[in-house]
Amino acid sequence: MIVDMDMISTLSMFALLLIPIGIFIYLQMGLVKETIISAVRMAVQLLLVGVYLKYIFRLNNGWVNLAWVLVMMIAANASILGKTGLKRRLFFWRTLAGIAASTFIVSGWFILVAIRPEPFYDARYMVPIIGMILGNCQRSNVMSLERFYSGIRKNEQEFMTYLMLGASLNEAVRPYLRTALKATVNPSISTMATMGIVSLPGMMTGQILGGALPMPAIKYQIGIMICIFTAMVIAAVVNILLSLPVAFDDHQRVKPEIFQ
Amino acid sequence: MIRFENITLKIQQQTLLDETSLHLKPGDKLVLRGPSGCGKSSLLKAAVGALPINSGRILFDGIELNAQNVADIRSRVSFIGQEPVLGAERVLEALMLPFRYKAHRSRTVTGKQIAELLERLRLSTDILDKPSARISGGEKQRIAIARALLLDKSIFIADEITSALDPESKEAVMAELFRPGITVLSVSHDPDWTEACTRRIKIENHRLVESGAEPQTTLNTAVPGEVS
Repeated sequence: MIVDMDMISTLSMFALLLIPIGIFIYLQMGLVKETIISAVRMAVQLLLVGVYLKYIFRLNNGWVNLAWVLVMMIAANASILGKTGLKRRLFFWRTLAGIAASTFIVSGWFILVAIRPEPFYDARYMVPIIGMILGNCQRSNVMSLERFYSGIRKNEQEFMTYLMLGASLNEAVRPYLRTALKATVNPSISTMATMGIVSLPGMMTGQILGGALPMPAIKYQIGIMICIFTAMVIAAVVNILLSLPVAFDDHQRVKPEIFQ
Repeated sequence: MIRFENITLKIQQQTLLDETSLHLKPGDKLVLRGPSGCGKSSLLKAAVGALPINSGRILFDGIELNAQNVADIRSRVSFIGQEPVLGAERVLEALMLPFRYKAHRSRTVTGKQIAELLERLRLSTDILDKPSARISGGEKQRIAIARALLLDKSIFIADEITSALDPESKEAVMAELFRPGITVLSVSHDPDWTEACTRRIKIENHRLVESGAEPQTTLNTAVPGEVS
């Protein structure tokens, strides 16, 4: 059984934050307020989720689990769009579709084909696995959309040259799609290559701390890493492709109004 | 061939062209003149749908430029800017770039054709292996022109394309573009280029005025106020 921390011990962890905050103050970086707000938000959100998950696990109803997963996706989607510099209102449903497609494909494979729990919608598997995929894909989703549109915006003349040379919209955007995708997946490729040597990943560590044997924990970790990587690529490509119809006008020009 | 019908062009609320018209016939070599910022380059961009017009119509062979045919029209027209972008790492890749697109995939181009064309444009074939970023502005302009000529296009929209060329290269480029079957819509401050053009249009008070003629309102043809 895991050694539980009492609330005071948990709160004591916040004392560590004094170090980065001290550095931010010394370097006059202006990140103090954001750090405190983010840390408090993280703690409150996790505590609330802890309470909620207790009931979700106890109830273990497929529809409730699905509803919770959808809530996670919507929250992830809103957060992604807020950071890409694109207008939420225009892209919300399209990026949500991209996130949902990628998450359901890979988590479906992991849960239904590899793990096969009984019942298949068991909250103990469905909620944390989808949560991990969503959480880990968030940064890459932001990066792919941001890199893609900033690439076209910065190289508008080059983009127009491709169109003038007879490229269709899909052909003209391909170089920017490639750049965005490379930037998105490169860090994950490096992470996968060094996993186990440089880093001990979160899911495996969590399972071992929870009392699992290392080997089953490692198998899950291998599964989740492949899921995260695949979901990242699917979401990046699908998000970009689904965003094209709203981002370009009927003459294939980027609409300036898509940017915040 | 290309007809601008009563077009109004504004950029950030500033009117550049106001309900003005122009008609280019096949084989015309037309140069636009006027102070900077008057809308010359914007008109060229509008012609290929790179810039939206606020009102009026642009027609190619009687067919209005619209969302359905813009890609087709772009594949027939060659647009070369003042600082052309080659869009590929190496010069040979840049020359072959359009042939990778669906619109031109059926066309073939031989090494001999490329070598002959480069020679006519006073370029050595050694340039083909060079990185695009390492060649001079004048070489870039000639490579962009060579790329358009390889596509066998007959309409050239050119924005100050001789600005970085030495007299010899300029002469070579002009010899290629000023052939009878080619239609040229251009912006240039180069006296030799302007002299060689068969038509000179000035932008005056947001209107297109044929050089040496009265303001276009007196040049009525099929469309009121059209320069034809």
